[in-house]
Amino acid sequence: MLNITKIKADFPIFKNHPELIYLDNAATSQKPQIVIDRITKFYSNENANVHRGVYPLSEEASEAYDEARQKVASFIGARTNREIIFTKGTTESLNLVAQSYALNNLKKDDEVLVTDFEHHSNFLPWQNVCQKTGAILKILNSDEKGFISDEEWQKKLNKKTKIVAIAHASNVLGTISDIKKIAELVHGVDAVLVVDGAQAIPHLQVDVQNLDCDFYAFSGHKMLGPMGIGVLYVKEEILAKMVPYQLGGGMIESVSLDDVIFADYPEKFEAGTPNVAGAIALTSAMDYLLATGLEEIRKHEILLSEFLLAGLAKIEKVRIFGSASANERTGLVSFYVEGVHAHDLSDYLAKRGLALRAGFHCAMPLHQSRACGATLRASYYLYNSEKDLEFLLTSLEEAISYYG
Amino acid sequence: MDDLYRSELMEVYKDPTHRGHLSNPSIALEKQNAFCGDHLHLSLKIKNNIIEDAKFDGEMCFVSIIGADFLIEEIIGKTIEEAKKIDQKKLLELIDLNLTTSRIACATLTLKALQEALNKYEK
Repeated sequence: MLNITKIKADFPIFKNHPELIYLDNAATSQKPQIVIDRITKFYSNENANVHRGVYPLSEEASEAYDEARQKVASFIGARTNREIIFTKGTTESLNLVAQSYALNNLKKDDEVLVTDFEHHSNFLPWQNVCQKTGAILKILNSDEKGFISDEEWQKKLNKKTKIVAIAHASNVLGTISDIKKIAELVHGVDAVLVVDGAQAIPHLQVDVQNLDCDFYAFSGHKMLGPMGIGVLYVKEEILAKMVPYQLGGGMIESVSLDDVIFADYPEKFEAGTPNVAGAIALTSAMDYLLATGLEEIRKHEILLSEFLLAGLAKIEKVRIFGSASANERTGLVSFYVEGVHAHDLSDYLAKRGLALRAGFHCAMPLHQSRACGATLRASYYLYNSEKDLEFLLTSLEEAISYYG
Repeated sequence: MDDLYRSELMEVYKDPTHRGHLSNPSIALEKQNAFCGDHLHLSLKIKNNIIEDAKFDGEMCFVSIIGADFLIEEIIGKTIEEAKKIDQKKLLELIDLNLTTSRIACATLTLKALQEALNKYEK
């Protein structure tokens, strides 16, 4: 069992906003003191640019940055730290795959598969490269729970498929996809599998070798780390098939007036001064999660999901999105109330200190396919308690009777 | 609860005066709020340059409905030129709500549709 009172005390935001009930963790998580302190420490004691100077401060910063890469590699079970590219977040990671891999490997009439529950950041880059290359973008339609059926795979996946891009967990449905099984299907037709892990890695133990995906993208800020740092994992044999799409400092071996030799990966995909403080502080967040216990956190979230799903089911007019099973979800539930607009509800709840997201959650195609307007999303994490959700349920009932 | 939930506004929200569709409108159009997906249908009856009647309908939130109903109340009987002069500032004064930035788009949905409709009508 997690000690919520103790955990909450590690997050200064709750000291500064005692009334805040933060249920928007799928958008971004709060930061523990050790992450904030690590950023301060870097800029106070260690700040220098990496891989440039030979003076001690720069060398130490470089070593700390390399060490961060190593820690990230071991956190997700990569074979080597060369498979870890630092980016500014999931969005940049996915755009990097699209621009550096897909654009150079797709031909006219090749096929790219994405699901109907993707976040725009795992949809628009594919729409864009397909428009540029003449490849065809096909949509895998999910069932009501948010799973892709075997029939749907059989219907859409074939020898023409070159890339499949899917969220490990949907940011609206919360549904967790079976990536290991999907990787087998995708590799069966010699395609590559790109996984958007933004919503999964804060909640699940991710082992990229076990999942056997080819790319895995995620952000630091949803897993207690700072904003502006993210990761792209790429299986080493694929790195050789990628060309950098951002050019500049820090990614070359030599430059002449009419030629350039790029540095080796991963550096060649990290043009410009990297977010060193962010990378280091991200590993502090990982340390915090590991010390708290990934399994314990997951258990806690499942209990919260069970509590919230049961509570919402009792409220008339509430319609829940996605699977009814807490085990098949990450820590979130999206829902709407018949006859009351999601924005009106979230306004009402906000006045009681409840921070929830209302809208399309950057997944307009999903809402269109479900023929549904804006939804409310409650997403929780290790510092949320059953009491938070109980207060949400009572306030929601009040709001409904107010507008009803 | 603050002024967003004033009781007279709740009454307008639950039973807006100008909700519906005009039969034989001079012009009608659909507009969507990209932020939340709200759909608005606006129809206008214009005769001799005067807006004789207007109606709105659609899937809308509290703030959108208040914005629509107050705006229509204001423009009925006005000339096209007078109606075109109503801007965001004027509308926000009319509805007198303390709105956050994200919800100003809700309040002004019908205003944007109105300006679009009047421009189309004049062409």
